[in-house]
Amino acid sequence: MKGIHHVVIQNKRMHYEFDLRRNITILKGDSATGKTTLVEMIQEYMDQGQESMVSIQSDKRCGVISGNTWKGQLSEFSDSLIFIDEGNNFVRTDEFARAIQDTDNYYVIVSREGLPNLPYSVDEIYGIHKSGKYGSLKKCYQEFYHIYGEDNTSIIKPSKVITEDSNSGYQFFEAVCRDNDVDCISAGGKSNVATKIAEIVGDNEIIIVADGAAFGSEMDKVSKLIKIKQNVHIYLPESFEWILLASGVVKDSEIVKILIEPSEFIDSQKFVSWERFFTYLLVEKTKDTYLKYNKSTLNKAYLQGQVRKEILDFMKNIEF
Amino acid sequence: MLKIYFGDMQGAIYNTAVYFKNDYEDEWIVDPFVVEMIKDVDSSDVMYSGVIDSPVLGKIPPVKLSGGVKTLILVKFEPDVVFNASTCGDNCAKWLLKIAESEDRTVNLRHLMDFGDGEFDIEVLNTGTIVHNMKELVETAVSFV
Repeated sequence: MKGIHHVVIQNKRMHYEFDLRRNITILKGDSATGKTTLVEMIQEYMDQGQESMVSIQSDKRCGVISGNTWKGQLSEFSDSLIFIDEGNNFVRTDEFARAIQDTDNYYVIVSREGLPNLPYSVDEIYGIHKSGKYGSLKKCYQEFYHIYGEDNTSIIKPSKVITEDSNSGYQFFEAVCRDNDVDCISAGGKSNVATKIAEIVGDNEIIIVADGAAFGSEMDKVSKLIKIKQNVHIYLPESFEWILLASGVVKDSEIVKILIEPSEFIDSQKFVSWERFFTYLLVEKTKDTYLKYNKSTLNKAYLQGQVRKEILDFMKNIEF
Repeated sequence: MLKIYFGDMQGAIYNTAVYFKNDYEDEWIVDPFVVEMIKDVDSSDVMYSGVIDSPVLGKIPPVKLSGGVKTLILVKFEPDVVFNASTCGDNCAKWLLKIAESEDRTVNLRHLMDFGDGEFDIEVLNTGTIVHNMKELVETAVSFV
């Protein structure tokens, strides 16, 4: 499935209206904001149709899966918006993560706990904002040029950079840091980032660079850590490949068009998260050029002259 | 004291809503402490043991209370069972502390609940550490969630 899907679900007492932009959306937040009521209304519409007195306006079918028979229920859906309430512990399993990779549905999952098996974006974690009978989705994490933190509007001059990545992304930042006498280490994966932040001592400015497109599961704990360690900032572009694409070093009008509204171009069945799509796009657009991209080993052309300058200039608010 | 085990916990009740539906007792709902809790978290008034007046949903039975309040009620009245308190939002945190003020309660958390800016006593069972504020709690528990 591609695209942004607008959904209106209502009955006499409740009215929810929101857009779904990616294959996985997480709902969390305070109790009594109407998360379970939303899922129950969809279930009632599924069971009883219009006689439920629930009305759903959406260009895609909406459904609910729950309990131990989730696999059978999931097999009945395609090209649908599927909602899963909290209390369904199958969402934490490898089996569920594998199963949804083969589907063309979008999923809305109610969960406060991080789900590391699922590659969801920090931008698609919402709470329900309630105003009387009206419920809409409000982003849980606010950013400024993709920088998250207590003070994310000042220029950051890091004395140390920690990258989630250990491939090309790390190699780029390591080279830039080396030239500027700044430490750079790799956390060796998203699940190690929180531990690396917890180990930080001192007041030097530190920036963590991770792939926002798949960092959702870590965001609750990381955001709480950076609240108590105010010298730590987190930079969450969609991915390193997205930085390269968005910086303009690869001149291509289609890239510009895609980056304006990626939802319209990224097929969730082919790309379980946007980071994978941006890697694919960068590889495709640079093959047979001097910027030929390889994820495991950084092409040195990205570290040279004007190309390097354009990439660094794109990372606004970070100064090496 | 409130005792918390962070992360996966064998034997903890994960789906607290189903447990509540099949286990709650009428007198729990009209307990003055619970009445106050329902008013604060769900903004709803208990009318009778089986009827709660919600400003949004109208007259509802106890099973239609929020997932957070249902878990809080279970934590209060089922002291020997450990419940997944990640079904509670941050607006339930002060009530977990209040329930455990006079007698010990153990809950399971799979995320870092925000207990606010004040001081508290919580035992992190994974390490046996007693923490007194959010800074200590986050630093102690972060590697378990």
